[in-house]
Amino acid sequence: MKKNRVNTVHMMLFYSKITINAWFQYKLDAILRSFSVFLREAGTIAVVYFTLITFNDINGWNIKELMFLFSFIFLTYSILIIFFTGLRDFEWIVNDGRFDRFLLRPRGVLFQILASNSDWFAAIGHGGLGVLLFVLSANNVNVEWSALNIIYFAFTIFGGVLIQGSIFLIIASLSFFFIKTGNIRDVFYWNIRSFAVYPISVFPKIIQVILIYIIPFAFVNYFPSQFFLHKSDMIAYPEIYIYITPIVGLTVYLLAYLFWRVSLKHYKSSGN
Amino acid sequence: MIEPIIRVENLKKTFKVSKRANGLPGRIANLFFPKYEYKKAVDGISFNILQGEAVGFVGANGAGKSTTIKMLSGIIYPDEGNIEIAGFIPYKDRKKYVSNIGVVFGQKSQLSWDLPVVDSFELLRRIYSISDSVYKQNFEKFVDLLDMSSFINQPVRQLSLGQRMRADIAASLLHSPRIVFFDEPTIGLDVVAKEKIRSFIRYLNKEQGVTIIFTTHDMQDIEQTCERLILIDKGHKIYDGSINGLVDAYAYEKKLVVEFMQDYTIDEISDVLINDLEGHSKEFVFNPHKVSVKSVINNLSKYDIVDLTVENMNIERIVRQIYEGEIKL
Repeated sequence: MKKNRVNTVHMMLFYSKITINAWFQYKLDAILRSFSVFLREAGTIAVVYFTLITFNDINGWNIKELMFLFSFIFLTYSILIIFFTGLRDFEWIVNDGRFDRFLLRPRGVLFQILASNSDWFAAIGHGGLGVLLFVLSANNVNVEWSALNIIYFAFTIFGGVLIQGSIFLIIASLSFFFIKTGNIRDVFYWNIRSFAVYPISVFPKIIQVILIYIIPFAFVNYFPSQFFLHKSDMIAYPEIYIYITPIVGLTVYLLAYLFWRVSLKHYKSSGN
Repeated sequence: MIEPIIRVENLKKTFKVSKRANGLPGRIANLFFPKYEYKKAVDGISFNILQGEAVGFVGANGAGKSTTIKMLSGIIYPDEGNIEIAGFIPYKDRKKYVSNIGVVFGQKSQLSWDLPVVDSFELLRRIYSISDSVYKQNFEKFVDLLDMSSFINQPVRQLSLGQRMRADIAASLLHSPRIVFFDEPTIGLDVVAKEKIRSFIRYLNKEQGVTIIFTTHDMQDIEQTCERLILIDKGHKIYDGSINGLVDAYAYEKKLVVEFMQDYTIDEISDVLINDLEGHSKEFVFNPHKVSVKSVINNLSKYDIVDLTVENMNIERIVRQIYEGEIKL
């Protein structure tokens, strides 16, 4: 059993080496990808920044605090696309027959999907921006870096990655039923994410409910930011929500995984 | 009594396909009330294959070949029937089972497009946990037999189709599988490249005792590698036996193609079917067991003949005629 786990880690590392090597076949492309991702995302932030700078605050959040809220999105997304790119791009994996090939190899199917795809250079772009935003804003909003806070932060980032990974896993499962899932992904991931750049308290009740209970993106950045910032709009939600991002992450991932298992059975019986 | 290594019993698989409606109103109606058709892809196929056999698995497009291969390799479940291969039920013990088989798809490569061939091999070595000695031995053997030394360190995207196919075949065999499925491995290749692959498959089967299942549309592939042929059509097995047996049983037709000097009206010859061809040519179709070539030619001696050829039935033509429904088995 222990040997098996060591083996799995070795496999992960070897897969990473291979995906990085493949990217480095086109060195300039790879580096440009990091840059362009960074600039593209920084551009969207600049737009929000200059739009909001004319307001004093939004529901009590000043611009520095909003940047802090932002940074969680980029930090988690950067880690997300190291581990979950195979699910983000799953539609192609099924359509070009790579998925059948995974079924013919003596390893877990989901493991192969996750391990064999990593968007390393985009991760550098997103991660670089996330770190930059985080460092700049965290200093300005007086976050105190006690050991407890650092542990909380690490677990919360982990939970935030899992929440988004679960969304990708569910959408990937849907491609066993539908050939094209690009639009579903746009609606259930990208649109939801675009709400998350604001404190959820600014939205109508229905959108808040969606962001907390249906597609729990609020646990990726809003509630974790509240842990550090203690803004007054938190009064509208149960205090406990600040602490449970890792639990929410594990729970939705488990549910997504069960849905994946059922969908895989469907694929095997329908042959797509 | 040798136990079969592959045992397939009354295999069935039906797919649900949505029925396409005509015209816009029909399509809109379809959106809300989709209509489905049930297509029986595989409808009660049974066979046994012994360790070390090489079996050609042949059928027209849509006959159910790929579906059967997918069920045998454990990618999809059968609706009904039993499969037992090397002591496993493919769709149940997937992870343990797949180490025993190799699958080569002519249409889908398993190599990484951007990486040198050898990198994909190294990955497979880890995926299958192949021991160093076995890996080294297989690697050297395949590089030599498949003549890969000139391109083993090149990225796959730079290879010719024939090179890529050879590399793909080696990739599927690194873990020394006992049973190998070849699904159209010669598709799109030229004669020389095909021959390399055929001789390698012969080697695997004859020298290494690997059990081979080979699907292809090129009957020469089958003739040169397999003794046994399974023909399937519309989800049913229609022939299972030796290749020679099929030729003997259905070579009841000979064709004499004659080019005349001018258009003649030929007198009827009993038991011979006469068809007009282009120009002044005609063909004479007859059963060689009933009518001899000599007697047909004798009947034509009064006409001026420019050229004359005799065509025998071969496996290629028999299979083509079976596809086209001209021969009923």
